[in-house]
Amino acid sequence: MSLNKAKIGQTFTIVKIEGHEKIRKFLFTLGCFEGENITIISKLAGNYIVNIKDSRYAIDEAMAKSIRLAA
Amino acid sequence: MKIALAGNPNSGKTTLFNALTGKTEYVGNWAGVTVEMKVAAIKNKYQIVDEPIDIVDLPGAYSISPFTGEEAITSDFVLEAKPDVIINIVDGANISRSLFFTTQLLELGIPVVVALNKADIITKRGDVVNGHELEKALGCKVVTITATTENGLKELVKTASSSVGAKQEPLNFIDLDGNNDVARQTWINTILEKSLNKKHNASRVNLSDRIDMVVAHKWFGLPIFFLIMWGVYAFSIEGLGGFLSGYLNDVVFGEVIPDALNGFFEGVGVNPLMQALIVDGAVGGVGAVIGFLPLIMVLFFCLSLLEDSGYMSRVAVIMDRYFKKIGLSGKSIIPMIVGSGCAIPGVMATRTIENENEKRMTTILTPFVPCGAKLPIIALFSVVFFPNTSWVGPSIYIIAIGVIIISGLLLKKLFVWDNTSFFIMELPEYKMPSIKNAIIQMFDKAKGFIYKATTIILVMNTLVWFMQAFNWKLQATEIQSESILASVGSVIAPLLIPLGFVGWQLAAASITGFIAKENVVATFAVLFAMASEEALHVPGGALSQMFTPVTAYAFLAFNLFTPPCFAAIGAMNAEMDSKKWFFRGLAFQLSVGYILALLITHIGTLVIYGETAVGFVPAIFVLLAYAVGVTFLIKRANHSKTTLVATE
Repeated sequence: MSLNKAKIGQTFTIVKIEGHEKIRKFLFTLGCFEGENITIISKLAGNYIVNIKDSRYAIDEAMAKSIRLAA
Repeated sequence: MKIALAGNPNSGKTTLFNALTGKTEYVGNWAGVTVEMKVAAIKNKYQIVDEPIDIVDLPGAYSISPFTGEEAITSDFVLEAKPDVIINIVDGANISRSLFFTTQLLELGIPVVVALNKADIITKRGDVVNGHELEKALGCKVVTITATTENGLKELVKTASSSVGAKQEPLNFIDLDGNNDVARQTWINTILEKSLNKKHNASRVNLSDRIDMVVAHKWFGLPIFFLIMWGVYAFSIEGLGGFLSGYLNDVVFGEVIPDALNGFFEGVGVNPLMQALIVDGAVGGVGAVIGFLPLIMVLFFCLSLLEDSGYMSRVAVIMDRYFKKIGLSGKSIIPMIVGSGCAIPGVMATRTIENENEKRMTTILTPFVPCGAKLPIIALFSVVFFPNTSWVGPSIYIIAIGVIIISGLLLKKLFVWDNTSFFIMELPEYKMPSIKNAIIQMFDKAKGFIYKATTIILVMNTLVWFMQAFNWKLQATEIQSESILASVGSVIAPLLIPLGFVGWQLAAASITGFIAKENVVATFAVLFAMASEEALHVPGGALSQMFTPVTAYAFLAFNLFTPPCFAAIGAMNAEMDSKKWFFRGLAFQLSVGYILALLITHIGTLVIYGETAVGFVPAIFVLLAYAVGVTFLIKRANHSKTTLVATE
């Protein structure tokens, strides 16, 4: 399941990051990669607010689609 | 000795840099505030060794391998410039993310000292960090600090200077599947299990999240943003700032100082020409600008509070879906808000935008936001032509928004852009903005403003005064229209005819505006001090002989929406990093300001006075030529777009 389909308020394990290599590499340095946890805090103004490690990020729909989660 | 500060964006590097050096560099609670490398000598208080210490502040980075333009500078600097020791600021609020960069820094062969920052937040959260375990695991010294309160900084400098010359052992990762970076992250997780006792669960919804749900709400987000910005400008321009500036302009520089000086010079019996040079040229021109100092100080104070709070990142989130439609990123709003203070840091802030197209477009569009230096022009025209009304200022901001939207759509059509955009923005926790920091920033900006007024603007004014007082034979002339300035202005003036602007004075004022926008006001002050008995800053003042209210408004728009001052143009050139795009950008800005002023003059005059304005016929020709040009460029772009698709 991709992140944009996931339930708000829950923590998921990341299965795979798809998409452009630049995005994957960047997400990796933030601690967003296979096996790590990601929590979806809310959906605001078309963006997903997520928690990776100890920080909040807003990511857009396209990016949310490229993050695959364990169902 | 050279100490470099390196760390993640928004980890508190610049706060530490300011604390160590006593400098007043720009800080803000959003990722990517520092876009330039800065060097300064350490304060005496922290100069605890004999050898002089220099501190280098680097732009924030999440890793050594660059992702955005700003991060490239960090790794390049660390790799090439070789400081004697690196202080790696580890964000206490997100230790595990920060350590990824740490593990890479440890491999450079330069001694590293970890400064575990935001100790206050760690304590507040109830987390416990075992510094000794961390030191043992990383193989480098760890010092706990709170940069905002300067706690632990002496200890940090002491540790850093004693580490110079030490050999830094890189960490050895067991490289299982050829992916070194995964090994790093696994290793970090393992050592944090031993050295960090976490009570705090970051994934739970906290106060910041709850605030976000309101301020970044789908429907409320935009109105709240407009309300906040309106509040900032109303307070700066109409409120406290406007009140103080009005007093300075009308009383101090309008009466007290000129009267005192004139009295003094007449008493001493100075040559009247000399007296005019000083009173009308130097004091009159510079005074016309300095009068706006309180207004600009209040504006920067408010903007600084706003940036420090953490709200800027949220605005980027709100704006993203709208800005995407016009080819920008949500992050484009930050350069624009910063640019409402001054376009130079605004244009520089475009560096945080990853996508090259979005960055270029933001660089072209940011100077359309009226900056602090343009406020004197707005205020002058508003007082003279539209007394007792308050719509002029706000209307300019509304036009600015309109111009940005239309320009974005037009640029998207004019040029061929590739389309691989994505948006990610860190949302730092909100914090109480520091009043102390805002005051420091305010006085720093005030200093810069006074410096500009007493150097560039003073020199320009003296020159303008000289040029309008002398003719080409270098004889003093009583008749301004025979002066050097008049003949120079007359060369440019025909270009302004289609806009309905008649007179070499207007051309001269606009040209001086490119050197610094305040010059437009200062030049008028000089010109009309000689030619007219009427004061400049009063309703129906000296300027009203040159304009109707409609053409005055058009002239205002012309000066605000043509290219910015030279310093900002220089910043555009640096950020574009491509001569082709730089000139395209300038040409675009020039055409936008020109066409906008043209439309205001002719449509306004027709609608309001029911007659055609001066230069109506040339205006029609200009508009036709412009329309043909734009159509041609769009056709050409469409053609390349189809061939681009075909080759793919």
